[in-house]
Formats: sequence, C-alpha cells, structure tokens
Amino acid sequence: MKKTIYVLVLSALFLTACKNDKKQTEPSSGNKQSKEMNIKEADGHDHGDHDHDATMGENSSKEKRNIDATTQKNNATSTIIDSYLQIKNALVNDNKDEAAKGGNMMLTAFSNFDMSKLSETQHKEYMEIIEDAKEQAEHIIKSPIDHQREHFENLSVDINDLISLLGTSKTLYQNKCPMAGEGKGAIWLSEYKEIKNPFFGSKMIKCGSVQKQIN
Amino acid sequence: MRLIKKLLLILLVVLVGIQFIPTKRNQNQQISESDISKTFTLPAEIQTIFKNSCYDCHSNNTNYPWYNKIKPVSWLLENHIKKGKKELNFSEFGSYSKRKQKNKLKSIKNQVIDDEMPMFTYTLIHKKAKLTESDKKLIKNWAVRLMDSIK
Repeated sequence: MKKTIYVLVLSALFLTACKNDKKQTEPSSGNKQSKEMNIKEADGHDHGDHDHDATMGENSSKEKRNIDATTQKNNATSTIIDSYLQIKNALVNDNKDEAAKGGNMMLTAFSNFDMSKLSETQHKEYMEIIEDAKEQAEHIIKSPIDHQREHFENLSVDINDLISLLGTSKTLYQNKCPMAGEGKGAIWLSEYKEIKNPFFGSKMIKCGSVQKQIN
Repeated sequence: MRLIKKLLLILLVVLVGIQFIPTKRNQNQQISESDISKTFTLPAEIQTIFKNSCYDCHSNNTNYPWYNKIKPVSWLLENHIKKGKKELNFSEFGSYSKRKQKNKLKSIKNQVIDDEMPMFTYTLIHKKAKLTESDKKLIKNWAVRLMDSIK
C-alpha cells in the first residue's frame, strides 16, 4: 500500500515537471496577440509612414472636436447613443440597476458596430474613444451609483467626441452642469430639451443648462 | 478511517504536485519605454509612494512576499495582479491614449481619497503601503496638476 502511494507521488511530480518544460518553450498567448496586432496595424498604415500618421491623428482629434456635428447624419451610431441615453435616464431617476443594464447594452452596441466603413484616421480615434467608453461602461455595470455617476462623466465626454467624429441622425442636446466634475463642470447629452440632471439625480434635478443642440 | 487517510494522502500528493507548476512571475529587469516615469517627470516623493503602495499590483514589477512561493496562494496573488494591471498599469501608462491617461489620473485621485486603494487586504499585510493623509494629499495634487497639463 505504502509503496504504491510513493509511486503515485513520484509519478505525479514527474508528470507536472514534464508539463513545465513544454509550457516554457511555447510562446505565451499574449505575445501571439500582440504580433497579430502589429500585423493589423501594419496593414492599416501601408500607405504612409507610421509615425507621421500617429501625430496626424493627435492633431486632427483636437480639430475634430470643434467640428459642428449638425452636418453629419449617421444612423450607425444610434444603438450606441440609445444605450448611453438608457444610462443617462437611469441616473436621472437614481436607478442603479437600470444604469447597469444600459452599460451592458452599450457593450453589445460596441461589439455590433460595423467598423469597416470608417476611414483610417476615423478608425484610430474611434478605437481610442471606445476603448475608454467600454471601460466606463464596465464600471457602470458593477459599481454603486456614485461611482456610476463618476464614470458617466467620462462616458459623456467619450460619446460627445464619438458624435463629433461620426455624427448622428438623432436630435440631441448637449447640456452642462457647472457643479459636476468637482466644481469644474461636466457635460451630458440628452434627447430632450428640458434639464434633468443625471449627475445628481433627484438631489439637484434642475441643475444645468443647454449648451448646444445637435441636429 | 482508512478512507480519510487515503483522501488526506491524495490531497498531500496534489499539494506537493502543484508546487511544480510554474507561475509566470510579474517581474522585469528593465523599465519599459512606456513607463509613467519615462513619459512624465514624477516627483521623487510620488515615486516612492507608488513604489511602496501601488506597483506590486499596478506595474510590471512585483516585489513578491515570501508566501508567494507556495501554491495555491501564489495563484491567487497572480490572478489579483493580473486584474490590477488590467485596470491600471503604470509600466504602460505612457502608451495609454490621452483620454485614458486623464481618466485614470482622475480615478487614481478618487480611489486614494476615498481609501479604496491601496486595498484593505493588501495594507493588512503590507503595513508600509498604507497611505498617510499627507501622502494622499500629495497624490491628489499631483494627479490634478498632471490631468490639467494633458491636453
């Protein structure tokens, strides 16, 4: 009996030891992924110098923010904006669970978004915006309401930039609450003109003013 | 009785066995090009605070405690570090988009002020990692300044 146990222990040790060697020689999946990414990037930029493109992207992102979105009509952004408005309205109503639902809707909307129609420069900025927006949505899904609101502040900037970049066919209002963002003020988007504040909800429902109408 | 003995032995075998599975350690000799200290000039006191209180889970260099040598404890730690780095990695901060950098700085500031970071379970073991009120103020002011400077 004892002998068989020793044999078992030893063979278990050998088995795991063998496994180790294999694992170390295989390239890690992380590396593989980054390699694929590099290939993708190279493909995307084959018409120009990579560095040049990158700096262009930064400059153009600043300019784009000033472009008036009223001229661009785009249906493709609708489901993303709908999910944003779901979060917004939930926060207006102090409803954490509905906001979390909106976060999930947003993640789905992003994964269903057709990126093939984006130009190269649009694609770069779109990726930056959604990388951030996804993170905000993930936090909105799992956080208590005060954190949801913090992340909603960032998300509002992201969605506003997304609309500046790609446009929308919806009529929206960009509002600003001077008390949000730790007194620095913060913007949000709404589908109606009346002010209903998502950063404070029922505590300060009327705080804010319309800054601009989109479409 | 015999059955219990057998089960205990099997458990022992498994426990000994798993010690031979390697864990990839979160340690790097070099400071990466995208490290926050290469992208921004960090004040020395901020760097010290980060090193003592944040980098174990939020950088590519963990200063491992002794109990990390024992599995499955080390797996728990490794998983924890993976999650921490996904949320914020100071070794890759320079490669974040400006949008992300700003939002991360805001979160750093808020988490520190609200005492949510460093995590209670971490400071319980790493007494040195606990932030003093003046540490928190330093981080807050640094984060706000840097946030405003990123355009």
